[in-house]
Amino acid sequence: MIEIAIDLIIAMGVVGLALQTILGASVFRAILMFIVFGLLMAMAWARLHAPDLALAEAAIGAGITGALLLVTWRRLQAMDGRTPRVGIAARAPWLSIASGIFAAALIVALGWVSLSLPAEPAAAGELAWQRLPEVGVSNPVTGVLLAFRAYDTLMEMGVLLAAWLGARAVASELRPGALPGPAHAEVPLVGALLSLVVPISLLVAVYLLQAGGSAPGGAFQGGAVLAAGGVLLCLSGRLEAAERSSITERIGLVLGLAVFSCIGLVMLFMGEPMLAMPGVWAIYLVETALLLSIALTLVLLFAAAPGLRRAP
Amino acid sequence: MTLQETIAAVLLAAGCLFYIAGTIGLLRFPDVYSRLHALTKADNLGLLLVASGLAVQSGSLRIGAVLLIVWLLGLLAATVSCHLIARHALHATPPERRP
Repeated sequence: MIEIAIDLIIAMGVVGLALQTILGASVFRAILMFIVFGLLMAMAWARLHAPDLALAEAAIGAGITGALLLVTWRRLQAMDGRTPRVGIAARAPWLSIASGIFAAALIVALGWVSLSLPAEPAAAGELAWQRLPEVGVSNPVTGVLLAFRAYDTLMEMGVLLAAWLGARAVASELRPGALPGPAHAEVPLVGALLSLVVPISLLVAVYLLQAGGSAPGGAFQGGAVLAAGGVLLCLSGRLEAAERSSITERIGLVLGLAVFSCIGLVMLFMGEPMLAMPGVWAIYLVETALLLSIALTLVLLFAAAPGLRRAP
Repeated sequence: MTLQETIAAVLLAAGCLFYIAGTIGLLRFPDVYSRLHALTKADNLGLLLVASGLAVQSGSLRIGAVLLIVWLLGLLAATVSCHLIARHALHATPPERRP
């Protein structure tokens, strides 16, 4: 009974917050609603027994995306010199009505198709579950991401790199400029917070990476947590935008893609299928490289800069 | 209901009361400073009570220690963000209108 009540509250909250996000009178309010929406989505995933997704949603969906949206709002203010007040819904009502009808039709169509399909046992899932011991990690999510569905994961890294390159291309045209100077950089409490929280973010990131083998966690969650530490350093003025990216940063950006592809290609030449993992060590090696690339890409996206350097 | 469960339930209920009080304060109080006052006091103690309730319910020292860290981190983040919001609000108001 109580469980149904909790599920109902979460379901109604998710829909209510989604409505608030798209109907919000100001962009700022919509962003805040979106962040709370992400947190509630994380709870929904946790209730659906998907702790990996819950972690990813909280760290990436609510945390990093929220920070990116907020910093974008701040930059828009600085560029326009005025607060963007009107949401898209108010600017083009026909567009929001049309996309709403389209989305509803899509959901109805998908639901109808999936209901009319014959109920087959999930063949791929069963097979992956049976052969999980051969992979060497006991967390099925990590096993699927790195062994059974490695190609998708590789492409996701490609998408992340492409997103960063796209942001660079746009930034070189628009020149967003430096963030408005942090007004609280000299507050002693901020220094105390950073000296505790940034090392903890590193610790939690490494823990999530290590735990990913047997429990919820992994490179994406760990990367987002590590990126949060970097975002704090940027926000408090400890790190500032550099004119060019250093060679270390360039290596870091492509590290995940490079290590993953190298191992995959080496296995291809050794007669194995492409992207087959030669062992558990390879899975952790790839995950570490992925974590570093994800964290660096996210921080650089947040800073909207080609590189970062320590503030003088 | 065992003694352990009763203690846990009492602690959790007390924690929820603090959260409700803090939320009412956030919604009803007139300015930034009193809202922050309501929010941080209630959240710090509310989180402590909820965390202790869960620790008692779990009956495990390890989970209790993890919950203690969660509370301390929440305390740290709440303290600093409260300080920054109050500071920003104070600097944003002209000196003659400051409380």
